[in-house]
Amino acid sequence: MFIEYTWLVPLIPALCFVLVGFFGNKMGKTGGGYLAIAGVAVSCLLSVLISYEFFTSAAYASPGYYTESMTWFTFPGGFEITIGFYVDTLACLMMMFASFISMLIFVYSLGYMGEEGKRKRRYFAEVALFVTGMLGLAISSSFIEMFIFWEIMGLCSYLLIGFWSFNHPEGDDKADNAASAAKKAFLVTRLGDVSLMGGLFVMLYAFGSLDYTVVFDAANIASVDHNLIIIACLLIFGGVIGKSAQFPLLDWLPDAMAGPTTVSALIHAATMVKAGVYLVARCFPIFCEASSVMLLVAVIGGVTMFFAATMAMNNMNIKKVLAYSTLSQLGYMFLALGAGGYMIAIGIETGDTALIAAGSLGYTAGCLHMVNHAFFKALLFLCSGSVIHSTGTEDMREMGGLGPKMKVTSITMLIGSLSIAGFPFFAGFFSKDLIIEQALHAADYGTAGWIFIVLWALAIITAFMTAFYMFRMWYMTFRGPEGPKTQHCHGESPKSMTVPLMVLSIFAFGFGFVLLFGFDGLLSINVDLATGQFFVGGGHAEGLEYLVEFFTNPWTYLTIVLVIAAIIIAKFMYDKRKINPGKFNKNGTSWLYRALASRWWFPELYNQVSWKLGYGVARGVDYVDRNIVDGAVNGLSNAVVGSGDILSKAQTGNVRNYAAVVLGGIVVLFVVILALFYFMGGL
Amino acid sequence: MFDLPEIPYLLTLLIVIPLIGAIVSLAMGGEKQKHAKTVAIAFSAVTLVLAVYLMLSNDYSVYTENYSWIETAGLKMSYILTVDGLSILMVFLTALLLFVVSIFSAHETDKPNYFFALLLAMEVGLMGVYMAGDYFLFYIMWEVTLIPMYFMISWFGGPRRHYAAIKFFIYTHVASLVMLIGIFALAFQAAQGGLVDFSFEAVLAGSGAFGETFQMLVFGLLFFGFAVKMPIVPFHTWLPDAHTEAPTAGSVLLAGVMLKMGSYGIIRVCLEALPQGAQQWQTIMFVVAIVAILYGAYACIAQKDLKKMVAFSSISHMGMVMLGIACLSDVGVEFAIFQMFAHGLVTAVLFMTCGMAGHNFGTREIPLLGGMAGKVPVYAAFMMFGFMASLGLPGLVGFWGEFGVIFAFYEYAYSIDMIWLIVFCLMSLMLTAGYYLWAMQRTLFGRLTDRIDTTHVHDVNKAEGIAMGIMCLMIAVFGLWPDLALSLISQYSTGLFGVI
Repeated sequence: MFIEYTWLVPLIPALCFVLVGFFGNKMGKTGGGYLAIAGVAVSCLLSVLISYEFFTSAAYASPGYYTESMTWFTFPGGFEITIGFYVDTLACLMMMFASFISMLIFVYSLGYMGEEGKRKRRYFAEVALFVTGMLGLAISSSFIEMFIFWEIMGLCSYLLIGFWSFNHPEGDDKADNAASAAKKAFLVTRLGDVSLMGGLFVMLYAFGSLDYTVVFDAANIASVDHNLIIIACLLIFGGVIGKSAQFPLLDWLPDAMAGPTTVSALIHAATMVKAGVYLVARCFPIFCEASSVMLLVAVIGGVTMFFAATMAMNNMNIKKVLAYSTLSQLGYMFLALGAGGYMIAIGIETGDTALIAAGSLGYTAGCLHMVNHAFFKALLFLCSGSVIHSTGTEDMREMGGLGPKMKVTSITMLIGSLSIAGFPFFAGFFSKDLIIEQALHAADYGTAGWIFIVLWALAIITAFMTAFYMFRMWYMTFRGPEGPKTQHCHGESPKSMTVPLMVLSIFAFGFGFVLLFGFDGLLSINVDLATGQFFVGGGHAEGLEYLVEFFTNPWTYLTIVLVIAAIIIAKFMYDKRKINPGKFNKNGTSWLYRALASRWWFPELYNQVSWKLGYGVARGVDYVDRNIVDGAVNGLSNAVVGSGDILSKAQTGNVRNYAAVVLGGIVVLFVVILALFYFMGGL
Repeated sequence: MFDLPEIPYLLTLLIVIPLIGAIVSLAMGGEKQKHAKTVAIAFSAVTLVLAVYLMLSNDYSVYTENYSWIETAGLKMSYILTVDGLSILMVFLTALLLFVVSIFSAHETDKPNYFFALLLAMEVGLMGVYMAGDYFLFYIMWEVTLIPMYFMISWFGGPRRHYAAIKFFIYTHVASLVMLIGIFALAFQAAQGGLVDFSFEAVLAGSGAFGETFQMLVFGLLFFGFAVKMPIVPFHTWLPDAHTEAPTAGSVLLAGVMLKMGSYGIIRVCLEALPQGAQQWQTIMFVVAIVAILYGAYACIAQKDLKKMVAFSSISHMGMVMLGIACLSDVGVEFAIFQMFAHGLVTAVLFMTCGMAGHNFGTREIPLLGGMAGKVPVYAAFMMFGFMASLGLPGLVGFWGEFGVIFAFYEYAYSIDMIWLIVFCLMSLMLTAGYYLWAMQRTLFGRLTDRIDTTHVHDVNKAEGIAMGIMCLMIAVFGLWPDLALSLISQYSTGLFGVI
């Protein structure tokens, strides 16, 4: 009874966008904030009801999804563009956590953006539009529909990063910075989106439709050229790389921190950057066509996971540390999906059902980490927002010793940090450990399996680094000697900000336990080997056996020991100050330190490429246009008219000369055409 | 779409009403000239209502008007007006833009009676071109559009207006003479020594007599004539100058509907009458289309004048139209026409906003601007909407045009086993986003400029807001419901070439 109305889930925030956008400032001093919160709350409630109905319906058992779609229009040749909704476990999960977290962040925004005055209208309208994009993406029933919402999110990301790109409260430099960051974010993700669009062309032509039910149908996949599917997958993955900020398109995300912290939490941590993860998970039926594609997913994920973590190690900006950690955690998700998909692809080739079941666990791990990360990273960002709101700085060197003044923030942030570090029994522990296990498992199969050994090692090292930089951040902020801004901090943030923190911290701690209560059965991916058909859900749930599995695996203890060691090292460095960090980086002069500080030269690379390939070529074209193409035109007219400057001629009104040009032209052309007719015997 | 009662002489009315409007406006000298805008808005509104009525009618064929005009022993020229799925959108677009531009220009104070008379006169010519069913009438109307535009630029234009106007006039006039020769060749060849009938129908009926060499050569002549109008690189240099100097209303019409005369001509004349010629020229069309797309996009990046940038973006987007046409497939032609329509809607907003920069800020030079969003938020919102629509944001009308055209090109590339060719198109999408966002960053965002005096900068006034609001609404409506236009276009394009 609710599931038929799934289309309302993105539509309600869309309506709020229109209402708030046009009439926000007539809705009291929150600028329409209450309406936006109400709208997303309704969407959240509806998502829960729809999910409940779906899981209890017959459609859940078979075929594993509920979809309704209609033809939007058709191309000549029978190519169909459809629009509708598609509810399966993944979609349910996505819309529930996205709407729930959005709602909390909206509430938090009431406090955080409280001093923005009339600009709140713009803020709430844009975030409402963003939520439309995210929820629309979750329930889309075709790639083209998904792409539309995908781009709407990109637009909102652009608008919100640039929220302070003019009249910045902290001055002009920040405004310039925000404007530049917004542009960079849009363009870099656009590069990916263009690739994704290429994938859509390939698929639309190959399948005749972009509807999920058509594209993911085993019989249709079998009838399409295998190479085309691989090309399509690679192009789609290009889009994923852009949106989820993976290597090498990762550098826009740290810059995107120029936006309000709530935006960083919502868009650049909890939801939009997950769209890429979602898309890969969604596309498993075609991505698993080739193990090499999945290997690529895993490698890109693994490389990003490691590189991004290194850059977080020495950054002093609290938001940037979190941004790098977002990149790194997204890398984990892709590693999980890649490893799982790799095993499934090989399992299908060899007809090994056990291997497919093992691969499904990678899928589960990736998706679980996606949700866990949404909770703890939203929490961490909001905590950092609370600190920034109170101290007025983002530089961790100016903080320190804030713990006693901001008790709620410091405790909730500690929970978030423990969760992301993978401390046992916190949410991040379950998913991260499962991912590391999957990477090792995948190494046993296929000729390229050895690559997974490397990725596994990187994953463990990254876990160590994660724990270190998170606690470096936490100790630098809340413990240790007081920084210059600590004295002037306004104390704990208002209730509208701390309550969302407390709610999120419950999930950041506890959401991992869903794994022990059948999450893997709900969100698994299975293949019917007889037909080759993929379906989501309905898998075997191991439940509490996981606890046994985790704690009988010796590698788990290695990870735990490394994490605890990292926390202790961070404590000695930044709280007790017994170890001077300067010892390791030669006080900031070592090459490694400089490499990290210049972000492995990624920004430099981007600038050089865009400057040379973009502006350089453009200047060349412009020169050619002015001097050669247009020069020829002016030269020709001067030659015919037999005088100097065409401009002076025009101004003296000497039109007779031009008439001569025209007449001369006509005569010449008539001669040509007559000759032509004569030649062809037409006359 | 609906079964509406027939209005007699509807097509003639679409030409005559603006003509009367032009004359009335022209006659309003002296004291009364400030009412010229009311005349223009009223007459263009009536035309728009009629055009919409026509568009929503079920059957366009009942409106065809056919009268013999000049008939001698050897020659026959007729007054034929007709409308089909190809022309109806152009007729609608013309009427819509005229109406919107009349509102937009409501504050024109310099000789408004001439200004609005020229606008309406342009509508006469444009309507004639899009509805003509006879080559001779087509050619006359084609030339009719030139004259008001020439005066529009040279009377109401910027500092280099005389140069730009003359260049525009001569360049496009020479091209249309070449086109005229092509038309003569078509009509005489089709007549086979009998009565030379200039109607589209007669030429089409006689097209069996077009040999292979004839098709190739005449296609070349006509293609040149139309390509200059579109414009296609390297015959485009009149356009940036004309746009930079033309008043905003002139630019909107020039880019919005006059450029489409070129692509309309290619489809209507070249493709219909010379299908073999089109096959022979296909590779060249692809090359010029892709060159235009990339060349235009790159040139945009280097421009410093906002309006000139938008002018080059028109070249790039019309290259997209060319690309669709060059596919010579149903999908390609259908979406080429859609792209023409989409570009007409979007470019109107672009030229309005960029033109307004000149009036409202005192300069259109990008390096002199900055941080304007804080000063003129409504202006900034419109500009951003226009730019986003133009760079092909999904959900807005520009996206479907590009998507369909590139898909058609992919189809073609697949058929010749070179799918990597679409990389060029995808690259252009990237460049387009690049120049628009960079321009916005430098004009709207960042610190408020101190290079110009910003104390007297004013935001969008009511008339401008209404005009741009209507256009933005249209962009959204046709973006969310593309079938509204596609269902009309497919009546024309389906079966034109068949599916690759």
